[in-house]
Amino acid sequence: MKSMASDAAISIPAPARAALMRCVGISKFFGGVRALHRVSLDLFPGEIVALVGDNGAGKSTLVKILSGICQPDEGDLWFGEERPQRLTARQARKFGVETVYQHLSLCDNLGAAANVMLGQEPVRWQLGPLRILDEPRARTEAMRRIGEVGVVLEDLNAPVRRLSGGQRQAVAIARAMVNAHRLVMFDEPTAALGVKQTHATLELIRRVAQQGIAVVLISHNLDDVFAVSMRIVALRHGQVCLNVPTEKTSRATVVAAMTGVALEGRE
Amino acid sequence: MAGNAIVPLWRRWLKDNGRNLGLALALGLALLVLAVLSPKYMTFDNLVVVALQMAFIGIAALGTTHLVIGGNIDLSIGSLFALTAVCAAMLAKVSPPFVAILGAILLGSAIGLLNGALIWRVKLSPIIITLGSLAILRGVVLLLTGGYSVRGVPSLFGEIGQWRLVGLPLPVCTLLGLAAFAHFILTHTTLGRHLFAIGGNREACEAAGIPVRRLVLGSFLINGGIIGLSGALAASRFGSASPSFGIALELDAITAVLLGGVAFTGGEGNVLGVMLAVALLGVINSGIVSLGIDPNYAEVVKGATLIAAVTLNQLSHEAREQHRKRSAMRELL
Ligand SMILES: Nc1ncnc2c1ncn2[C@@H]1O[C@H](COP(=O)(O)OP(=O)(O)OP(=O)(O)O)[C@@H](O)[C@H]1O
Ligand SMILES: [Mg+2]
Repeated sequence: MKSMASDAAISIPAPARAALMRCVGISKFFGGVRALHRVSLDLFPGEIVALVGDNGAGKSTLVKILSGICQPDEGDLWFGEERPQRLTARQARKFGVETVYQHLSLCDNLGAAANVMLGQEPVRWQLGPLRILDEPRARTEAMRRIGEVGVVLEDLNAPVRRLSGGQRQAVAIARAMVNAHRLVMFDEPTAALGVKQTHATLELIRRVAQQGIAVVLISHNLDDVFAVSMRIVALRHGQVCLNVPTEKTSRATVVAAMTGVALEGRE
Repeated sequence: MAGNAIVPLWRRWLKDNGRNLGLALALGLALLVLAVLSPKYMTFDNLVVVALQMAFIGIAALGTTHLVIGGNIDLSIGSLFALTAVCAAMLAKVSPPFVAILGAILLGSAIGLLNGALIWRVKLSPIIITLGSLAILRGVVLLLTGGYSVRGVPSLFGEIGQWRLVGLPLPVCTLLGLAAFAHFILTHTTLGRHLFAIGGNREACEAAGIPVRRLVLGSFLINGGIIGLSGALAASRFGSASPSFGIALELDAITAVLLGGVAFTGGEGNVLGVMLAVALLGVINSGIVSLGIDPNYAEVVKGATLIAAVTLNQLSHEAREQHRKRSAMRELL
């Protein structure tokens, strides 16, 4: 089924650096639906990879697998030299993988500070299973993180459901940055944002990559993709159909890969 | 300038504490009316009796509070209360009181955990599953006792329920102690924070690496344990355990919890509000009796307060949604 042309597109020359994370032959089924089919992908430190594809192509599913929320039905994940048998969300976090989900997973009932620090609340002291929250430290830390995203919130304790879409996005991103020291994945981070906030988010993504963190960016906006990414990976029907450095490709090629027009033309 | 800053702060405080303030005012008003109309009501001895009546509902409401905050519920607590009371009384006849109480707590915890595990595994609404256990457990109690009260507990076991601490009966002290502890857990520990978070968005918690399963099962277990403790206390206090103990206890507890400002959908609530609601309901209940009104009105009032409580919750929820919509539209413009 694979043509010469698509093979050439998939096998890029491996950079000299070691891959931070590798997916090898990942498949995932939801009932009878095949969401991913033998997806292989290497992620490198400091590299911004744009993951593109039509609706239902499997982008979000891949992100969920990489962050340990979903288990693949087939294939291996490598974290550097390690290969966890079953990657859990906890392990992924420990390894320094963070995700900003498409449908923002914020707790609407909690404040911005509580959301940013969720799951890693600073602890004042511990008594058996009881960990006493250190609220002042949580607030200053959260304020710093949210500030880095370029948003100012006046009340960090007000439930985030009172915030606007852009502010909520900022909280979600700030949360991901708390623990991301290896890989951050953004699932359509700019979909709900205005021009200014989009700009700030893309700038933040660049800054993150400059720190040597690998970034995966899912976006339907090819302007954003070409503006920040270093490599473009296109998914179609759960398969990788394009994997090229951004400067060596064009919009037309990417669109063709996503929609499958060019591939079918060749076969 | 400074004046401007104070107004929103004051408004915000009211927004967060308005319900508790309202409950406190209603409680004060009810007590005032009773003090005027029925002079016997406002004596220390009578208030202790009223508090004692509330204690068991209050303890159950505390367990329900943390379950509902985490997005769950247990309807079987009334039957569990009867079962643990009966078992405590039976155990007390053959073993030291300490063993009887511990046994009731363990039994309650085990059954609570079983409920929780079933709900987790089947992924069905906890309402349906615990409605089943409500019937099962009541049936077990009736089978176990043949429908008769368990009487003739040893005097030492019976005395424990009569103990007083600073003039307050043991069940009331237990309620106050548990309430303080629950308040501390919910507001000051990661455990409490995570319960609120789970009630708000369970998936987000899973993604954040919070041990959601352990917390949910743990809250069912604790709830069962609390009910077991109060069942044992009841058996000890009354010196016997009737198989009809705790009928509609779940309704009383849920009414208080919802009236106290806990959101039925989870993620919101505070112990102070629930305790104020328990007190208000208890005062209304006993007040109706002491004013010589037909006690059946108490049931009507209870049902009406439940409906009023959820209506109030829904209206304030809608107001919030409206606010969100307005601010979202402002952002677009
Ligand atoms: N939890 C699930 N249960 C069943 N099917 C699912 C589930 N999650 C995803 N799918 C299916 O898997 C396929 C891939 O979905 P996925 O969400 O990964 O697509 P996507 O590329 O992120 O699309 P979009 O651009 O719309 O976000 C779709 O056909 C979808 O219906
Ligand atoms: Mg998606």
